[in-house]
Amino acid sequence: MSLEEKLEKWRRLEEEARRIRREEADWKFIEKQPPKIRAALKYYIATGDIRLSSSIASMNIQEFRLLLRKARIPVVC
Amino acid sequence: MDFAIADTCFLIDWSLWRRRDAIFELFKTIFVPETVMREVVSADTIEWITDALIKGVLSLFTETPDILEEARVLVEKSRSIPVLRGVDLPEAICLVVGRRRGYIVLTENRGALMITDILEEYRKVKVWRALEVIANLIKKRLLRTRDPTEIFNEYERETYHRFPRGELEVVIDELRREVGEVA
Repeated sequence: MSLEEKLEKWRRLEEEARRIRREEADWKFIEKQPPKIRAALKYYIATGDIRLSSSIASMNIQEFRLLLRKARIPVVC
Repeated sequence: MDFAIADTCFLIDWSLWRRRDAIFELFKTIFVPETVMREVVSADTIEWITDALIKGVLSLFTETPDILEEARVLVEKSRSIPVLRGVDLPEAICLVVGRRRGYIVLTENRGALMITDILEEYRKVKVWRALEVIANLIKKRLLRTRDPTEIFNEYERETYHRFPRGELEVVIDELRREVGEVA
């Protein structure tokens, strides 16, 4: 598989993961959160980057993982 | 039996599962880098890790300056390829140790998987997610079940994790062919 084909495969997998996070998320819960937390959750749904998202939320990575559960956002991997 | 090295995302998810101790039958020792240890804060996870340290099935891994330097270079490389999901220092340390020492890298970070797929120097590093760990536990009869799907579903429910459907189907088909012997 060429580099371009591999990158395309990962693009597709990332899009699938993003769709699952978006569809399963509890948007009512997310919209009720304070601005920093809301932004962090939305960033996570878009990227799946837990460390940067937890940093946006000013939370430890494990605290942010618990928040993801409350917001019904799955970790897709 | 192999050595493994685990990152934060793997440990915090795995520690939520009722069958979490089964993993210790699969590896000689699972190393936890100091950088990763500092990120674990929940009482339950800390207790689980501490118990495992006492039993000697988990060990602390102290990063040396040269490992840290290679990990920093890897972080930069991962950020330089647009589609690649970047890895951060804790995952990068695990990948560097995986490459240098042949340890299996335990992670739920997709960036780590991408690195071993894309970067030639990391191609030989074995990266296992919960998907591969559970599959290997079933294959090696360390978890017994008549239907592997139930085990994966249980993990998803208890950890709020989602396995990619396509990959999960492939793994389950493979396990079902062996399930007669497994059950």
